[in-house]
Amino acid sequence: MSVSDASYSSTVSMSNKLFSILPQGPSALWMLIPSLLFVLVFFIFPCLSLFSYSVMTQGAQGRIGAPFTLANFAQISADPFIWRIFVATIRISIITSILAVIFAYPVALVIARGHPQFSRLATIIIIAPLMVSIVVRTYGWQLLLANSGNGVVNWVLYQFGFPKVTFRVMFSETAVIIGSLHVFFPMMVLPLATALSRISPAVEEAAKTLGAPAWRVFWRVTLPLSIPGLAAGLTFVFSLTASSYVTPALLGGNRAMMLGNLLDQQITATYNWPLGAAIVVVMVVLVFAVNALSMLVLERRRAGGQDAAPAGARKAGAQ
Amino acid sequence: MKHELSGGLAVVSYAVTALMLVFVLAPLVIVFVISVSDTPLAVFPPRGFTLGWYWKVLGDPGFRGAVGFSLGLALSATLASLALGIPAALVLVRHPFAGQSMAEGVLMSPLVFPTLIMGVALLQFYAMWNMQNSAMNLFFAHILVTLPYVMRTVMASLRQADMTLEEAALTLGANRFRVLWRVTLPQIAPGVAAGALFAFMLSFDNYPISMWLADAKAEPLPIYLIQAMQRIFDPSVAAMASLMTLIGAVAVFVVEKLVGLRRAMSV
Repeated sequence: MSVSDASYSSTVSMSNKLFSILPQGPSALWMLIPSLLFVLVFFIFPCLSLFSYSVMTQGAQGRIGAPFTLANFAQISADPFIWRIFVATIRISIITSILAVIFAYPVALVIARGHPQFSRLATIIIIAPLMVSIVVRTYGWQLLLANSGNGVVNWVLYQFGFPKVTFRVMFSETAVIIGSLHVFFPMMVLPLATALSRISPAVEEAAKTLGAPAWRVFWRVTLPLSIPGLAAGLTFVFSLTASSYVTPALLGGNRAMMLGNLLDQQITATYNWPLGAAIVVVMVVLVFAVNALSMLVLERRRAGGQDAAPAGARKAGAQ
Repeated sequence: MKHELSGGLAVVSYAVTALMLVFVLAPLVIVFVISVSDTPLAVFPPRGFTLGWYWKVLGDPGFRGAVGFSLGLALSATLASLALGIPAALVLVRHPFAGQSMAEGVLMSPLVFPTLIMGVALLQFYAMWNMQNSAMNLFFAHILVTLPYVMRTVMASLRQADMTLEEAALTLGANRFRVLWRVTLPQIAPGVAAGALFAFMLSFDNYPISMWLADAKAEPLPIYLIQAMQRIFDPSVAAMASLMTLIGAVAVFVVEKLVGLRRAMSV
């Protein structure tokens, strides 16, 4: 009995090396080739090729090539129309991200720690709109925010005795921010809820036992420990808002254009590919800068280790 | 100790959550309310009740064509992503090699990149190689949207699958393909199906890539909807939007039944 057990367990430990559903050695790697080739040909190469247009000049016949120049980037800062759109894009993205944090935090708390049934309901309602097209959701906001007595918000206000048209936000940055907040809200709630549900209850209990009032436990323990989720959510919402097209096109119109709309205009109306490519590079740099910044914050925290961790966490770690 | 919300924080959290759930649902509900309104224009407040706009929309050949095209596009992009992604995920999870993290980084890179820009890049790429079949061009473009999502769920499911079962089957003499088909795939099937359905919906709802590549011969539903919004002012646009929401709701229901929405989104 014990002999067969021993031989069985030795087979199992050997099998980790000898029995795999993949052939051993480099011959299994061919399975990666189709997908890698696809991404290289249809994603990496087209993107690099488009980036290269940003330092080229468009000739009279529409030929794009030498001489190489930085004039397209200079035009972005020199042309007040383009510069205003650039600044507006950053402003809209920052405001949307901040609002998303403020409103997502309580929702994530409820999802991570609330009453199980309410948590489940909230999760479904927050996630479900991800499977509804942005076009549909933005159309809903057009109906809600319409600048006439027939807009839902204005109609409701009118029933409460306000003038017929009180609320004029359609085709403004406010409307774009409301729409963006709606579209990208789940991307803030989900990582926050994940981070909050990973915090050990013992850490907060320890702080409470040591006499910290509830608000202090939240401020010094819960909030700092949720920073990974906060950073991820902020990065998602900022990146997605900064590179959006549908929401500003349908809710902002000509008065609240963002870089995505300017890009569309340069490519499909003006056919100015080099300037379009420069706008693309600016958008990509913006998105990657925010990604890098959030990674830097997370690395710092990890490197800081115990010193950066809040008092409560340190005590729990000492146990 | 139960880790539950309590005290003032709980009151504020529940109140804000209730408010945000209304905020999230409001535009979808209003579209539905308008879609059954018996008025000549899509305006608030709605009057009466009619399903006439749905009949009008369902009888519209343009709308039906766009629905059919988008369903076909999303289905083929998802299937192609499964065909490309499952073998790649198997290697990445079960076969450590030098350069693994780089290969994974390349395959996942479309996930962190603005989709709007992928569309422009492809528009330029297709023009460069004189590729003019817009349906085919959309198909390749949509694979870029679906592939990383499919790969992510396949990899997560493979990591959770019980490897010792595979080893047992191999020890007992089954060949690799039989083990893959009878042991590995059945274990990862629910997770993969949920991921594939989510990827399907991403393609079905996509606008920012399709807008650069669509034309009159190949017109996905979101493009058709935006064009309808600019020329039709009766509630039939709301009926189209509600039908799209309905398809999304069915997908949500199926994912919830398969693996649970929360697990599918890895909350």
